[in-house]
Amino acid sequence: MSGEVETTRKPVPAADELTRPFWDAARAGRLVIQRCSACGYYNHPPRNFCDACLARELAFTPVSGRGAVFSFTVMHQRDVAGFENDAPFINIVVEIAEQPMLMMVANLPIGERERVRIGAPVEVCFEDRGDGVAIPQFRII
Amino acid sequence: MWHGRGKTAIVGIGYSEITRKPEKPLGLLALDACRAAIEDAGLDARRIDGLATYPESPFAGAGNRDGEDVVSVSFVLNHLGAAADVRWYAQIETGMIASPVIEAVNALLVGACDYALVWRALHRPILRGGSAASKGAPRASGDAQFIAPYGAASIVQTHAFAWRRYMHRYGATREALAALALNSRRNANLNPRAFFHFTPMSREDYFNARMIAEPLCLFDCDVPVDGCVALIVTTADRARDLRNQPAYIAGYGQNTARRRTLLYYTLDDYMACGGSLAQKLWSSAGLGPEEMDAAQLYDGFNPSTLYWLEAAGFCGEGEGADFVAGGRIALDGELPINTFGGSLSEGRMHGMGHIAEAVRQVTDRAERRQIAGASAVCAIDGSPMLRGSGIVVTRDP
Repeated sequence: MSGEVETTRKPVPAADELTRPFWDAARAGRLVIQRCSACGYYNHPPRNFCDACLARELAFTPVSGRGAVFSFTVMHQRDVAGFENDAPFINIVVEIAEQPMLMMVANLPIGERERVRIGAPVEVCFEDRGDGVAIPQFRII
Repeated sequence: MWHGRGKTAIVGIGYSEITRKPEKPLGLLALDACRAAIEDAGLDARRIDGLATYPESPFAGAGNRDGEDVVSVSFVLNHLGAAADVRWYAQIETGMIASPVIEAVNALLVGACDYALVWRALHRPILRGGSAASKGAPRASGDAQFIAPYGAASIVQTHAFAWRRYMHRYGATREALAALALNSRRNANLNPRAFFHFTPMSREDYFNARMIAEPLCLFDCDVPVDGCVALIVTTADRARDLRNQPAYIAGYGQNTARRRTLLYYTLDDYMACGGSLAQKLWSSAGLGPEEMDAAQLYDGFNPSTLYWLEAAGFCGEGEGADFVAGGRIALDGELPINTFGGSLSEGRMHGMGHIAEAVRQVTDRAERRQIAGASAVCAIDGSPMLRGSGIVVTRDP
């Protein structure tokens, strides 16, 4: 691989009216996921109506922060905005314990490369991205 | 069986140059392909009275400047010289590459047009307007705010996640993908239009290739190119008066199953979504997988071909890796696959190459790749977890 390439900064979430409670909670070190008051289904990413029953009564609800690695990849391509000089880096998909197929995306430190596997139990942690932004991440437990 | 079976046909194929160093803008490559298809069919451009395309950029953020990033119906209307006679057009953004062909078939069957030109133009995007020079971090909005901050916004990562699940679930290895990639390259070496026509690939080349998103390597990704493929579709009655042997459209299908996650499409959906397409494809054509003389199966990322083999019923769930071993999918095998080299080795034409090759095979126009007497071939596009459309073409109506 060649040396450092010009890099952009890592993207930060642009919280909007719908998603602001999620990001506010993350900044406070809490993981909340939008839950349907009518049928109990968790929706992520947030929606203005429930993806399961179309009800419009949805509330951000604290979750356990536990889950399992659903799948993972080690990304080598150096063309990901903000991650040009991070490659190789790990992406995981986490299946959140509260509901089958309730997915979130995260990173693991590259040092976890030999340890990450499908089904590995994980718990939430939070990464400070500066400027008052924190994003949920997960670590293997 | 579908009442439209055998009543329309593909009668012309046109390719632009397939290149990574284009000397002209995409719109002009598209016109090259369109004119070549019209000429191949033996028509005059003024006879073209239907236009359809699938105009989407290869990925989000790749730009949408007409004639440069995409080639819309408007662009072709303005520049082909067919405009005066056009009475039907469609820009399809559902399904996949076969979808504008399917819509053209429907239009022909109701008499909305007589000769439809269908094209797909694709370029290799140069990401513009990067924010390297701007102050502050770029802001990810919409659903991307849950993906881009993790560097996970690339489609290759989604496919890597799914393929990792497949390997985990069925015990498959990279050998299966190697078999597919090598098969495609051998076929591309026999295809004069293929980007990799002159470039062989050995087993060592495959396993030594650099990783892109583990476990997917460079040769598991289609080759991004600039180019366009165009087809002429007409009614069977009109087809018989033209110069080429017609490839009759026996049936079609589209993916209509519901996905189960909002954030990503996952492997869990591949049998349901791909199967929903295949069920309609086979029932409309009145033919099944066992009657196909070859299968052109989408390979934007290499594992998709394996998923289609299973979802379309060429083999059982989880049996794809065994199926592709031992030469079964070679030109002289039991089920030749991607006989033109696929997107992996012909170039990323998003499935138009698959349709064009299906046409060539049932009309004895497949050059050194010809499967003797091929009478029915399917072309299925898209990634089965997400979307797709497919057609069956036959030698006889």
